[in-house]
Amino acid sequence: MLARIAHELYWLGRNLARAEFTARAVEAVFQAELQAASDRAPGVSFGSEGLLAMLGDPEAQEARRDAMLGNLTLDARRPGSMLASVERAHEEARTVRDVISVEMWEAINTTVLGLRGGEQLGWTAPSGPHLAAQYVRQRMALIWGVAGRTMLRDEAKCFLDAGGLIEVSDMVLRMLRVAMPPAGSTPSDGHALILLRAVGGFHAYLRAVTAPPNAQPVARFLLFERAYPDSVAACVDSLHDVFSSADASPRNSKPVLRVSRLAADLDFQRRALPDGAELAEICERTQHELARIDLDVAERYFAGAAPAHALQGR
Amino acid sequence: MHFAIRYLTEYVYGGSVTDNLNALRVRPATTTSQRCDEFHTRIDPEARVSRYLDYFGTEVLEFGVPTEHERLTIDVRARVTTSDPPDPPEGTWEDLQAEGYLDAAGEFALSWQDQPRIEGLGELEDALRKESPLEAVALLCELIPDRFEYRPGVTYVGSSVSDLLLAGAGVCQDFVHLSLVLLRRHGIAARYVSGYLWAAPQDGGADSMEVDTHAWLEALLPGEGEGAEPVWVGVDPTNRRFAGETHVKVGHGRFYADVPPVKGLYMGHAASQLTAAVTMSRLDPQASARA
Amino acid sequence: MSSPSIAAEVSTYRPKAPFLDELFELDGTPRPVAEPLVRELRRLGVEGLEAAGARRDAVFLQQGITFETSGESGSSHERPFPLDLVPRVLSGQEWREIKQGLAQRIRALNHFVDDVYHAREIVREGLVPWRLVAGCRQFARAVHGIRAPGGVYTHVAGCDLVRHSDGTWKVIEDNVRVPSGISYVLENRAAMARVVPELFAAYRVRPVDHYPQLLLGAMRAVAPSAESEATVVVWTPGPANGAYFEHAFLARQMGVELVEASDLVVRDDVLYMRTTRGLERVHAVYRRLDDDFSDPLEFRPDSLLGVPGLVRAYRAGSVAIANALGTGVADDKAIYCFVPEMIRFYLGEEPILENVKTYLMHDPEVLEHVLARLDQLVVKPTGESGGRGVMIGPHAGEAEIARMRLRLQAEPERWIAQDLVRLSTVPTVDEDGRLVPRHVDLRPFAVFGERIDIVPGGLTRVALEEGSMIVNSSRGGGSKDTWVLEDGDDADRAGPPVADTLPPALPDLRYGGWTGQQQQQQQVLF
Repeated sequence: MLARIAHELYWLGRNLARAEFTARAVEAVFQAELQAASDRAPGVSFGSEGLLAMLGDPEAQEARRDAMLGNLTLDARRPGSMLASVERAHEEARTVRDVISVEMWEAINTTVLGLRGGEQLGWTAPSGPHLAAQYVRQRMALIWGVAGRTMLRDEAKCFLDAGGLIEVSDMVLRMLRVAMPPAGSTPSDGHALILLRAVGGFHAYLRAVTAPPNAQPVARFLLFERAYPDSVAACVDSLHDVFSSADASPRNSKPVLRVSRLAADLDFQRRALPDGAELAEICERTQHELARIDLDVAERYFAGAAPAHALQGR
Repeated sequence: MHFAIRYLTEYVYGGSVTDNLNALRVRPATTTSQRCDEFHTRIDPEARVSRYLDYFGTEVLEFGVPTEHERLTIDVRARVTTSDPPDPPEGTWEDLQAEGYLDAAGEFALSWQDQPRIEGLGELEDALRKESPLEAVALLCELIPDRFEYRPGVTYVGSSVSDLLLAGAGVCQDFVHLSLVLLRRHGIAARYVSGYLWAAPQDGGADSMEVDTHAWLEALLPGEGEGAEPVWVGVDPTNRRFAGETHVKVGHGRFYADVPPVKGLYMGHAASQLTAAVTMSRLDPQASARA
Repeated sequence: MSSPSIAAEVSTYRPKAPFLDELFELDGTPRPVAEPLVRELRRLGVEGLEAAGARRDAVFLQQGITFETSGESGSSHERPFPLDLVPRVLSGQEWREIKQGLAQRIRALNHFVDDVYHAREIVREGLVPWRLVAGCRQFARAVHGIRAPGGVYTHVAGCDLVRHSDGTWKVIEDNVRVPSGISYVLENRAAMARVVPELFAAYRVRPVDHYPQLLLGAMRAVAPSAESEATVVVWTPGPANGAYFEHAFLARQMGVELVEASDLVVRDDVLYMRTTRGLERVHAVYRRLDDDFSDPLEFRPDSLLGVPGLVRAYRAGSVAIANALGTGVADDKAIYCFVPEMIRFYLGEEPILENVKTYLMHDPEVLEHVLARLDQLVVKPTGESGGRGVMIGPHAGEAEIARMRLRLQAEPERWIAQDLVRLSTVPTVDEDGRLVPRHVDLRPFAVFGERIDIVPGGLTRVALEEGSMIVNSSRGGGSKDTWVLEDGDDADRAGPPVADTLPPALPDLRYGGWTGQQQQQQQVLF
């Protein structure tokens, strides 16, 4: 397929996933910040500041917290807002309208219209972020479901999925990096429910892990638990699958090899790391590695669609 | 008297059942007038039996058969030595109010089965207003069998006192339940006793016979004179007498459901058929010298 | 949104003397703790509250948090759980006192349960009459002599508190069998945060959503398991039970199996559940049904909801049951009178929370006294719960009082009488959207494992009818979110510092295309 189309699909996937995870995070912060800290000292911190840091926008400081949440919801000029991500996805979907299914196009189109009309629905009111976030989560589940049922499982779908997977793992890692307690603190006496709420893995965690939801086991779960689809390890595994089937010669494909190495690396760390080991560094390294994969992907498949200096870090 | 008791119970199921859990209250108690010398149980299919003393001090044997089976045999053997208790004391009605009496009576003076109050007992209740609690108890032994016919099959294990009143007939269990209600209404503490009865004719004709598990009661009679301890006295209203060396006690409770000989449950839809037999044999030398 | 008439509406709210109103002084000025709340309520106005009410109903309907009500035609329909949008606010100081008082009380009740099934010291000391204990319907002879794993019997307790017009908190009832309502505490809070977030703006409200983790922790702490991770289950009578929603809620929140009797089996004194991989051992059961139905071998033989042999496993110490079997003896209404004595006897402390003055009528003189004052007293059956059979003297008709007199004379020991408590009021939105004073009580939820934890606040139940003091949800009561405020200054409002290494900015779509080479080509000269 055309490199340009593959590129658009890849970013369509990324932006859809980004909108969804921004919604989840906004909703979690919205709920948590209304109330005081729990009885037990929280081992993780994830509030407005964390949210901004997670979205890579730590300087943006709104005077009021509810204004900030509102802007992250419906302010199209703000690159990290839900609406902005959905608008970008909409643009990309328009470009690849002939490749994606009619149903999927309509689902995306409806979503952007819904968010644009959010003001009339009262989503600018104090309780708005919650309602808008709920809407976005539901629409994204619908869009991915429609894609799964109506699109051919071909190269196009692979690049769409790849974008979604890489964005999900990136968002999860961002959140962990922001929220994990700094080294040296006692990570066992907090509970990290908010992290699980922010990525939607609350009940999955409770069913899969017997340890109480403290920072450490939650971070391990989000990093390593293969059975949970939104964990980093599961995303990387799936990423390997989609690139392997999309690549003409996966055996000497740089991105495939790199993903494969990262998957093995994560699996090794899951088994080798003792309980309570420092995870911040692993998060950072993994995220860095994902950024490299992103570059390799652009280089191999998108025919130089990205300039070589795009890899940035702070 | 010396007895050998064999209590053989067999359940045959109409199909295979599993998780057959049972609790047995069959071991003769050791009291001031009775001693259990030997006691064995055998369960088929084989099962681990655990024992504990329940709230009322009765030894309970518990076992469970988890695997599939179509029949269950419970074979219990015991040897026991009994003697006649001393004569019952003749305390007064006033003594029933003494603190020592109330303490000893405890929950056995509470009207367990008489809630709500059973109608139509007024005349029987009045008849028991005798000179002393002992006389009331003695009269009860005559009154109940006079008024009610002993007839198996009219009532079942779950029957209430009202069922007995309605049918005019019942078995030992029903007689005891009615007696308990009447005695407690008079403030006499009374408890249900489960056990075995050597029901051979007094001349000692047989030395081995088929009997049934039996029920009688114990009434708490106030002691004679200042500071005398009240005494639990065995009373058998079915057989018009006080309990003696022919009565082998297993345990007591507020009513039947506190001391059922066998209580069990199994999983499966099959119906069960029960055959139970109690065989008592006298081991005393004078009895074995057959006439 | 706020119009003058609406602002006036909130300011015309007047508490009803002689009752204490928790948000307003008698003259209608808001109490200091309520000022920010009243300001926000004013801003919302009648219309805002109405709109929020509609959102609340939608949230509850969507989540299936509903009550079955049967209409007059006999048709039953679902209505959303009645949550009033005006929260009840308790200061941190107030809450500490309640919390300490409850912890003390629950500790004493736990001692009592242990004592009556073992040494009976409190009876031998002559402080509690044995006849009352033995005569109690919930006294479970089947568990006599069994010591619960970890020595904990009352793992979950929900004592009902009321606030008298003099401001003191009193315990009106102890619930240490299967107290229900905690799911509503959590769902109410979640709904409030979604529907009226602006009300929270000026407060630091202590959260409640860690309750399931507390419960799970307590269950694990008492579970007799050698391995580090005990298997815990929630045992429900089944979907037909009125509180099934709560059972499922707790199981989901704790991440444990929700089992019914048919899932459980006892083999060789060990409790197992049937799984697709065969039998799996269960170490701790949070049961949501009464003793009577728990084990047909030991309690009601006709119970189809029970697990035969459960008591055996419990006696063998292989399983922890919460609450322990037989705890009902401690929340019997006749035993209630002796709780202050228990606190003194077992703990050597003075009770922090008061009882309501209660009359036990096995004493003929007390009975006489009660019969003379029936129109002023509240009469309750012992051994019942949920407000069943209660007669409130001042609200009862002559015929009802006469009937009660006959019943008391016939069976004085089955009843207790209590002084009428003047329940405090909290402003509540009525059907027309106006704020009106309505009576409330409070059921805080405590969890006893290694220690006693009490979730800040609890379920505030509110009598929705004017003047009514019957708050039971089964009898038309509603509920309120209960806010316990955090003490201290605002310094701890700012969250902990964000981690020092921050993730990079979000990558963006890097559009391809030609970039002009601005740099001039230069010759390199040597």
